[in-house]
Amino acid sequence: MNPIWMIPAIVGYFVAALGYTTSRLGLAPSGARWGKFALAGGVAAHILVLAVTALQAGNIPVTNLPESISFLSALTALAALPLINRLRLIVIGAFIAPFAFIATTIAALTMPGQRLQMPDALRSAWLPVHVTLAFAGFALFVLAAGVSLVYLINERRLKTKRLTAPTDERMPSLEKLDRINYRLLGMGFLMLSLAIVTGAIWADATWGRFWSWEPQESWSLVVWLMYAALLESRLTVGWRGRRVAALTLVVFTVLISSFVGVSLVTPGKHGGSFG
Amino acid sequence: MTDRKLFVVGVNHRTAEVAVREQLAFPDAAIVPALSRIRERLPAVSEAALVSTCNRVEVVGLATEQPPHPNAIAEFVATERGIAPGNFSSSLYFFEGREAVRHLFRVGASLDSMVVGEPQILGQLKLAYSHAVAAGTAGPVLHRAFHRAFAAAKLVRRETLVGYGAVSVSSAAVTLAGQIFDTLADKTVMLMGAGNIAELAARSLKRAGVHSLLVTSRTFDNAVALARELEGTAVPYAEFKSYLKLADVVIASLAVPEPVLQATECEAIIRERRYRPMFLIDLGVPRNLDERINAIDNVYLYDIDDLGAVTARSMDEREREAQKAEAIVESETDAFMRWLDGLELVPAIKDIRSSIERLRIDELERNQGWIATLPDTERTRVEALTRGLVNKLMHRVLVALRDENADASQQLYAADVARRLLCADPENETELLTFAPDESGSDDDPSQN
Repeated sequence: MNPIWMIPAIVGYFVAALGYTTSRLGLAPSGARWGKFALAGGVAAHILVLAVTALQAGNIPVTNLPESISFLSALTALAALPLINRLRLIVIGAFIAPFAFIATTIAALTMPGQRLQMPDALRSAWLPVHVTLAFAGFALFVLAAGVSLVYLINERRLKTKRLTAPTDERMPSLEKLDRINYRLLGMGFLMLSLAIVTGAIWADATWGRFWSWEPQESWSLVVWLMYAALLESRLTVGWRGRRVAALTLVVFTVLISSFVGVSLVTPGKHGGSFG
Repeated sequence: MTDRKLFVVGVNHRTAEVAVREQLAFPDAAIVPALSRIRERLPAVSEAALVSTCNRVEVVGLATEQPPHPNAIAEFVATERGIAPGNFSSSLYFFEGREAVRHLFRVGASLDSMVVGEPQILGQLKLAYSHAVAAGTAGPVLHRAFHRAFAAAKLVRRETLVGYGAVSVSSAAVTLAGQIFDTLADKTVMLMGAGNIAELAARSLKRAGVHSLLVTSRTFDNAVALARELEGTAVPYAEFKSYLKLADVVIASLAVPEPVLQATECEAIIRERRYRPMFLIDLGVPRNLDERINAIDNVYLYDIDDLGAVTARSMDEREREAQKAEAIVESETDAFMRWLDGLELVPAIKDIRSSIERLRIDELERNQGWIATLPDTERTRVEALTRGLVNKLMHRVLVALRDENADASQQLYAADVARRLLCADPENETELLTFAPDESGSDDDPSQN
């Protein structure tokens, strides 16, 4: 599909980014209100484009890096909506809206005109399940990283005692940010685990083996172990707060560099060459 | 023409030291009797109210002619309080006319307060008003002036952030706790020692919803007494460290020569708490808690200076918001002055109406001869015609006088001219000749600068 159809989503994300950042900086107090509608509009437009593309291609459009990034930012922005509206975590909009805007723009600009051909081996019902789970987990980790970043900024302000303008009084508390981070990590971890399991089942059905140690698989396992360790430290030792927020960002950095790196450097089945 | 003027005479925290203010401050019960004596002592004062708080003592009044000399009012207050007026005459301020109205509105909007935006002053002003009503010294002008002051205060509160931000140690404690904890409902506060500010902070946290309160003090009886008062639990001082792990918020104000809690001890406590955050408020001087505690993860230590800095920043913020509030007060003052000026027109309008009415009746009587010969229906028609003429004429006069675009002096001048043109009464005429438009115009000049 022509990337021109992504323009409405990009515009929506841009307006949302503008609204949330101006409201965060105290320039336009009503920014967060229209930012919310712009973000929801951007998500709707984005999902529509993805759905049409999926129908045309006969499967989920994640055959190359730009498509994957586009899919990821749609899921992230979608998952951010309940965080903003239900949990009143409005400040996260100031991180997610710019993220969705930049990621979707890069995806649209680098989108190849011609789609990769999907071999018959991959035309399976497992594909949408495996891919959606993996990317949903990824999206939740993006949100967790955003929440952790907000946590670290607010924590810094409380520690160094530089605070209490009236705008600060409306910021979410550290306790709330910590709790939401924990929940996002937990749900993301569950999605990632299921993605690995479904991927293995599918690989076994298609190629006759569960695991073939290709780069994306190995890195997913590394990331899975790191998130497992993070959650475990919280459950047993009770780690929380700044340390957990910082580690969330560290693991997220590993996740995002392995994702981009694997796609660009060592293409395997996940990178777009389906041997 | 009467020249009624609002005036304010008083002292506040800026002009007088507390030693002076405490002498002047009226006990609640003394205000109504004092007000009921003010009119016989100062005949020029037709309406009066007395505002007495710990930061100000003011007489707000309405003078029938030239307001009494500020010293006369000061003397009255001094006699009422049984002190020598010389003690504070240099601290007095005096406002009249528009300035007095503006001052009253600024006081109500908490712009003249020691802590700009503090909310108590409005209640105190309402009390002063109810005293004046009880004493019977609040007339139509003061009624309106106070009600407009309350309305202006409400508007300021709604339209600006002047009341926001923590400006006291206890509100800073609540605000900071709200940034660390999501809810206070499941939290425990430990109060160590019973300093005044510490107790206030504990009360504020309790009001903000804190679940339970532990109190410890070096004298166990004191801890028990305070715990009973604050509906908390007393903890023996010797064991307070083992209770600290239960405390999410600690307020310390012990009189001890050196810190009673070291960073290493606090580290152990936080581990035991499984890293659930702690907010420590050290109000002791010398400090009760090792300052290195702030470096521990998930522990936030604020001493009295840190809280002072937080409140100072909010104060700056309020000062900025106060500028917006001043603009609101200005426009509310203008609206009140327009109303007051309209009140000044009332006697002139009455004169003109009765004069024209007399003219109508005179003319009817002069023509009584032929009117009496008319049939009944015709006679009522002639009378209706004259009445209609008078009403039409009065309507035009009224519209011209109540011109929204004219300022007070222009309105009064127009009223004067209209009265001269339409009133034939020689008695009125001599009085009117003494009136010059410049005289009343001078009141408004300072405000226009």
